[in-house]
Amino acid sequence: MRAPLSWLREFVDIDLEPEALAERLTLLGMEVRGIERRGLAWQNVVVGELLSVEKHPNADRLSLTTVTLGAGEPLSIVCGATNIAPGQRVPVALPGAVLPGDRRIERTEKMGVVSNGMLCSGDELELTADGDGILILAPDTPLGVPLAELYGDVIFDIDVKPNRGDALSIVGLAREVAAITGSAVRMPSFEVVESGPDVADRLTVDVIDAALCPRFVGRWVSGVRVGPSPEHVQMRLLAAGVRPISNVVDASNYVMIELGKPIHTFDGSRVERGHLVVRTASSGERLVTLDHVDRALDPDTLLIADDHGPLAIAGVMGGAASEVTDATTDVIIESAIFDPVSIRRTAFHHALRSEASLRFEKGQECRLARLGADRAAALVAAWAGGSVARGRVDTAPDEPGEDRVRFRPARVARILGADLPREAQVDLLARVGIAVASPAGAADAKVDLVIAAGSKPRTVQVPAAATLEAVVPSWRRDLAIEADIIEELARVNGYDRIPSTLPATALPLFRPSPLALRDVVRHSLAGFGLREVVTHALVSPDHLARWSWSAPPAPADGEGRIDGTPITVTNPLSADHAVLRQDLVGGLVDTVVLNRRRGRDDLALFEIGKGYGRVADAPHEWWRLGFALAGAFDPPSWNRPRRAADLGDAKGVLDALCATLGLDGPEYTALATEAALHPGQAVTVLARTADGTVGLSGVVGAIHPAAAAAWDERAEGTILAEISIRGLSGGVPSVPRGVNPSRFPSVERDLAIVVGAGETAGRVEAVIRASAGALLRSVELFDVYAGAPLGRDERSLAFRIVFGTDERTLADDEVEAAVGAISAAIIDAGGRIRS
Amino acid sequence: MDLADIIRDLGALETSTLAAISAAPDTPALDGIDVEVLGKKGALTGILRGIGALAADDRPRVGAVANTVRGAIEAALAARRAELGAAELTERLARERIDVTLPGRPLRRGSLHPSIEAMTQIAEIFEQFGFVVHESPEIEDDLTNFQMLNIPPDHPARDLWDTLYVDIPGHLLRTHTSPGQIRVMQAMKPPIRALLPGRCFRYESVDASHGFEFFQVEGLMVDEGVTLADMKGLLDEFARAMFGDGKKTRFRPGYYPFTEPSVAFDVECLVCGGPGCPACGRSGWMTILGAGMVHPVVLQYGGLDPERYQGFAFGMGPERISMLKHGITDLRLFMENDVRFLEPFR
Repeated sequence: MRAPLSWLREFVDIDLEPEALAERLTLLGMEVRGIERRGLAWQNVVVGELLSVEKHPNADRLSLTTVTLGAGEPLSIVCGATNIAPGQRVPVALPGAVLPGDRRIERTEKMGVVSNGMLCSGDELELTADGDGILILAPDTPLGVPLAELYGDVIFDIDVKPNRGDALSIVGLAREVAAITGSAVRMPSFEVVESGPDVADRLTVDVIDAALCPRFVGRWVSGVRVGPSPEHVQMRLLAAGVRPISNVVDASNYVMIELGKPIHTFDGSRVERGHLVVRTASSGERLVTLDHVDRALDPDTLLIADDHGPLAIAGVMGGAASEVTDATTDVIIESAIFDPVSIRRTAFHHALRSEASLRFEKGQECRLARLGADRAAALVAAWAGGSVARGRVDTAPDEPGEDRVRFRPARVARILGADLPREAQVDLLARVGIAVASPAGAADAKVDLVIAAGSKPRTVQVPAAATLEAVVPSWRRDLAIEADIIEELARVNGYDRIPSTLPATALPLFRPSPLALRDVVRHSLAGFGLREVVTHALVSPDHLARWSWSAPPAPADGEGRIDGTPITVTNPLSADHAVLRQDLVGGLVDTVVLNRRRGRDDLALFEIGKGYGRVADAPHEWWRLGFALAGAFDPPSWNRPRRAADLGDAKGVLDALCATLGLDGPEYTALATEAALHPGQAVTVLARTADGTVGLSGVVGAIHPAAAAAWDERAEGTILAEISIRGLSGGVPSVPRGVNPSRFPSVERDLAIVVGAGETAGRVEAVIRASAGALLRSVELFDVYAGAPLGRDERSLAFRIVFGTDERTLADDEVEAAVGAISAAIIDAGGRIRS
Repeated sequence: MDLADIIRDLGALETSTLAAISAAPDTPALDGIDVEVLGKKGALTGILRGIGALAADDRPRVGAVANTVRGAIEAALAARRAELGAAELTERLARERIDVTLPGRPLRRGSLHPSIEAMTQIAEIFEQFGFVVHESPEIEDDLTNFQMLNIPPDHPARDLWDTLYVDIPGHLLRTHTSPGQIRVMQAMKPPIRALLPGRCFRYESVDASHGFEFFQVEGLMVDEGVTLADMKGLLDEFARAMFGDGKKTRFRPGYYPFTEPSVAFDVECLVCGGPGCPACGRSGWMTILGAGMVHPVVLQYGGLDPERYQGFAFGMGPERISMLKHGITDLRLFMENDVRFLEPFR
């Protein structure tokens, strides 16, 4: 809401500097988001008087004027406007002036005549809407005075919260200022000079559904002359952010800004027999609205109609056919109260959220229908002439009395934690126009007190003596329960006057943090050199099709499976973010691509995030770790050649992660069936906890070359992993077991095992482990060799095998027996030992 | 051999050995001399082998001379050894000199995302005050996301949360972490001190300060007698922990349908420190969170009696906290994941 200081001052005295007022308003809950100084853009623009206006000697369309600024030599200025005459006072931009839009005015020659500046239109100064003629100022405007001193203003941009529809008005904000300064609010005049016939002879109104239109007040003004509004009115409206249109329309907008009451005006001659009907639309009805859009109306739309059909969408937008035009002589003023929900739905349905609908949907006090009609009629008559018919059409003239809200002064202090005596509370409420009454009746009587309303109401019985009654002004529709009064007291008192204490209440029981295991994983991976990213959960349908897993392995124990159909956003911002992801690798691929496009080729990224699916009619969410390795894993340097990350690096990360999490060494199984992964360079991974449950499970592999080519070639070669970890969704890390290092030495044996094509290192290692016996401590592959003297398809796999026991130093024959058993098993399995 | 011969031989051995020692070029040569002269089968032993032929009276004399010779040779050996050792070490050190200005072998360094790190840090601070972390779903139902938070359908306050809806009837992408308040109250009994971090979604065009996906951290404290003054004290401590000592703070009225009174909490501008600058919209203040006393309607939906229990809730954006703390000026950077942006965070 834009509130010009000059307009506020019409209703309340203000001594504070604008910045101080802005701060006080903010601290009262009317947050001032900005302060605009109108007139700052008018440098070197002063008031002058036209001494003469003559034809330009060399140009038919120009005039040559002389202008006095009151002192000094008169200036000759060339002007193109036609509305000027000697004796008028006008704004003069002198050489060196700067106008809005950074327009610089210099001394120039126009068609052979020197012009010492420029006469300004209201539009050029952004002061009125008139761009055709020069702005003619009042005859008593002082000469030579800078225009900024006369018409400069300060405009506050105030963030009025949704519960304070009453403050979407100058009068409403003036009441807030009065709460700060303690001064009184002056209301505008609602006096209407009536003449001629009774309004009932001209205008009749039928409200079909009173629930949707609780009150309709109408007035009729005859004999108006539609034209521009007085300049000071245009200036005000522009300052408040409303474009002036005509005196009649401006009067309705003026009332909306001043009182917060949206008013609609109809051309009386366009309303059949002066009979308005407020009803919902019938199916198939259409209306061309003021913005010249032909709209289909649905049966939920509330209309103002006449016997011929729709005239306006109630509370949202008028119709083009009944609009007030230059030819209009009779004006119907509509000042109605509509159902807020109906207006809000209709405005959303037609994507027509106007200043009017915004005010209607916040709810309006009943009284405003009458006040708005009277004020609008008076302003139309004042600015456009004509006579106001006697009386009003009013469908609900009985105005309800003021509401009373009971509250307990002691509870106010108990909620705020502030010592705020009863008398102080009464004084504070008085500052915002809330009178306070003591409850009537016996001292020991009980009264009902509303502590909650809305969809979960609650009323309690309390001793009357402990309560007070706040008499709520009609415009404060937001004050309905005790808590509302507590808030009002807190804000008027000022939050800075509430003490600052630390809670002295009991502590909750211990509960492990669901972030604990995630933090272990995050810090481990960062320690391994991976970089954490956060990518979008909302992705494109293409992303979903490309990166979703076709047959993901079962998750770790206690974790959610990848399951359910994709969930689609029904009102997406864009197709790129229209569905919820079911994977983590796609976002990582996109992050690799983005960074490679920007020249960073070596990337190691991870994200811990969710996937989402719909199972039956219920949402399902699961946590996963995803990571991606692209380019060199070990940063290349002068002393280390560049080496691209491969599956081995990813397995190294997983091995280390399993060790960190206290899981047994993971098992890898070849995986050739995921479309996103290279069929010859992908595995599933599975690691168990000491008690045999699945601690870690997932897939890891090189991106499928076809997938990279189809998505973005920059993704080529990326290693991807998506992993479920027990506890990722909210578990705690396992507790590592302590180890007593053996005092006895272990014995190492190296075995080179030659295998044929098709045999894998994993299988050979399994054979070693199965056959080595109880003394085995560890098996580690340390070399792979192919070439002479081996056969063409043969490979030699060299393993370092370590034996030991905590009980004694091993004897040679014990070790030799174990190695012999391994050798025999290898030969059984089709391999041979290389000597 | 008589006594004189032996003594002469010993003298000759001493002379020649001392000469050899001083001429020895390196430590191995000294080791050779040591063995040749003083070893079990060395020259000194060889000479002394003749001692058996001497008269018993002469033997001690030879022994004394031999010990003197041995002592002289050992001393010379030790001296020469020290001399040569020092030279060899000097030579080795010279040989092993490298260009110490060559760059190191780079270690891959990871980093932690600032959104998650800010959430973690917020959680750590509140954990000191007895808060425990909970989580609630990202795909919420309208009831929990809005209606139980005192935001009925078609309420104008819904404008504060432009919503993304999904194709599961009655569901939406949570617009804030506040529905977690309801879920915690329904699951736990007071005393409640809960912290709820997580991802949120809004129908919002992306610019330097808005995104359609972002994180929030919700806090909730409910018990008998928890006051607005307690909330002020706790949030002041939070600001001190997050932004350091001596930063001014202020509480001012805000508006949320699910709190009453509602509060906005500002910290003095970390850029200008108060006078006003573009970063703080010339106000001198930066809003870091919204808060308030939990609305009686919300307490009731949480299954708590508002006559008995009262408390406060607060919500903040970890990205906003991170931006203020680290001097980041564009929210979009957080989800863009340019590694140059991510690198500094640990």
